Amino acid sequence: MELTVNSVARTVQSPPLSSLLTVLREELDITSPKAGCESGGCGACTVLVDGQPRRSCLTAVCAVDGAEVTTVEGLGTPEDLSRVQQAFIHHYAAQCGFCTDGLIVAATAYVGGGGSADTGDIGEALAGHYCRCTGYVKILEAVAAVARGDTFDTASTASSANNTYVTIAGAES
Amino acid sequence: MKVVGARLPRYDGVGHVTGRTTYVDDVRVPGMLHAAALRSVHHNARITRLDTGAAAAMAGVHAVVTHADVPLLVYGHLSGAGIPGDEPLLAKDHVRYRGQPIALVAADTVDIARAACAAIEVDYEELPALFDVRLGFDGDAPVINDTFGNWYDQYEGNLDVRQIRKGDIDAAMDAADLIVSGVYRTQSVEQVPLETQVCVAIPEPDGRLTIHTCTQAMYFSLGVVCSHLQLPMSQVKMVGGTVGGGFGGKVDTASDTLTALAAQKSGQPVKWRWTREEEMLASGNRGPWHMEIIDAVTSDGWILGRKMLTIHDAGAYGRFSVYGLTKHSFHHTGAYSIPNLHFDGYVVFTNKIPTTAMRGYGVTGLSTAIEVHAERVAKELGMDPYEFRLKNANRVNDTSPNRIAYEDPSTVEVLQSLAAATGVELGDGLRAMTREQRSGDMLPDHLVAQIGSGGGH
Repeated sequence: MELTVNSVARTVQSPPLSSLLTVLREELDITSPKAGCESGGCGACTVLVDGQPRRSCLTAVCAVDGAEVTTVEGLGTPEDLSRVQQAFIHHYAAQCGFCTDGLIVAATAYVGGGGSADTGDIGEALAGHYCRCTGYVKILEAVAAVARGDTFDTASTASSANNTYVTIAGAES
Repeated sequence: MKVVGARLPRYDGVGHVTGRTTYVDDVRVPGMLHAAALRSVHHNARITRLDTGAAAAMAGVHAVVTHADVPLLVYGHLSGAGIPGDEPLLAKDHVRYRGQPIALVAADTVDIARAACAAIEVDYEELPALFDVRLGFDGDAPVINDTFGNWYDQYEGNLDVRQIRKGDIDAAMDAADLIVSGVYRTQSVEQVPLETQVCVAIPEPDGRLTIHTCTQAMYFSLGVVCSHLQLPMSQVKMVGGTVGGGFGGKVDTASDTLTALAAQKSGQPVKWRWTREEEMLASGNRGPWHMEIIDAVTSDGWILGRKMLTIHDAGAYGRFSVYGLTKHSFHHTGAYSIPNLHFDGYVVFTNKIPTTAMRGYGVTGLSTAIEVHAERVAKELGMDPYEFRLKNANRVNDTSPNRIAYEDPSTVEVLQSLAAATGVELGDGLRAMTREQRSGDMLPDHLVAQIGSGGGH
């Protein structure tokens, strides 16, 4: 089988019913898609197959023979980050980072498809991605900022609209 | 002050967004074997026969680890603090919860390892199981824990209850205008980190072990591994710090020791990654808490005293539960100053997954109970719940149940901020309250004696 992975042509030797996740991680050593549940429930293994987000753990590799597969490694590098990657840094949308790669892939497809900055729409597009650290607020803010066309300073962290800072009288004593 | 208040980026942000962060599952070692565990299918059963012969003989199987391979089988997570160990690393002749590991197989592939687990022959004699902590005290309850019985019995050496006594609870109950009691039970919660328990252990040519670990507590886990393996710490190198979520559940050293044993026995690097099902079935979770609170209060809203009974569900083995209950006892007045206390707490064993830390160990369920109870008391008094809380809120030099003077309690400001953030109008008297040491109207007679001589600011 042949795949184009992150713009590089690869020949796959794994058995045809191997999951795309196993092929990427174990045969091709591309480790950003994570085996969070291996049953399609958590979203951490999400990759783009011909531009569409797919759960690589539920996708038999033979079903995508000849396809173009993109993981987060193919979206940008530390020296040349994509806007979604910049947004996730600037908006503190990654904590432990284990769900981040799948979310960035899905958010890239959402924004690339003309998705709006409406957090309800973003939430619907990213439903099925579990994140146990952030509480999702900062992820929604990051994706909305990309959809709005913001620019990002990755040397700092944005303030969050959902944080309410109350000045406390006497607390400085 | 270059850092405080600055909006710094995460140091690991670039790695996280480019797929370059290396989690344990991403570690690549040539010749690595894959492990799978045989786990108990029963909640409580004797193991009458364990035969690994067929599994060990299978092609592609390199090691089958059982209890017989563990140099020190029983070691407690709190052994270093003087709490006796009660949990075998692998079950020997008894399984006490469904999912308890009995054997670990290391093989060329995870599929072979799982097939070998299925080929291990185990005969069980199933026994009645206990799931409800309240039934653990019954005389005819099945005995759950060989070391401690049905509840932990070695506080301060020989007490079977964690007690706190402060002030005079009987006088408080006698003086009360109103007594409000409530029973609160919180459920168990699984932490569900997206990264399941995972370990890579590598036997090095010089005889040492390198262990890539997902632990939240590196040096603690180093001690646990070295104790079970009876190795000096100089012989084990732990590599970690990159954790795909833990939330307390990775404080237990759940996978490192067994993976290390499999690596030792096979002489090859071994990876053991739990499935999501195993993580849900067998990894330590936040335990359930049973809490009974009786408050003695005055008609003008002071809490004179609290009597409390807590039963903590430890699951089948102690792990950190004694620590969790002790912390719970120190916090059982919550953010409020109550001078007369009578607290009894028990760590009770059941045939469930051993419970462990999760975000505020021993305190999260307690806070739920305390705050729900505060609402009930205020309602019965016909009092604004903010006023009730703010009056009783900890002030500088109020003392905790274990008699520590609070130097910097923030309850007053937190409540005021909460009201402001949620659009609740507080009256002038409540808005003007501060954390400063009690005096005047905020220092009724019953609180005079409990003020400590803490450092203050």
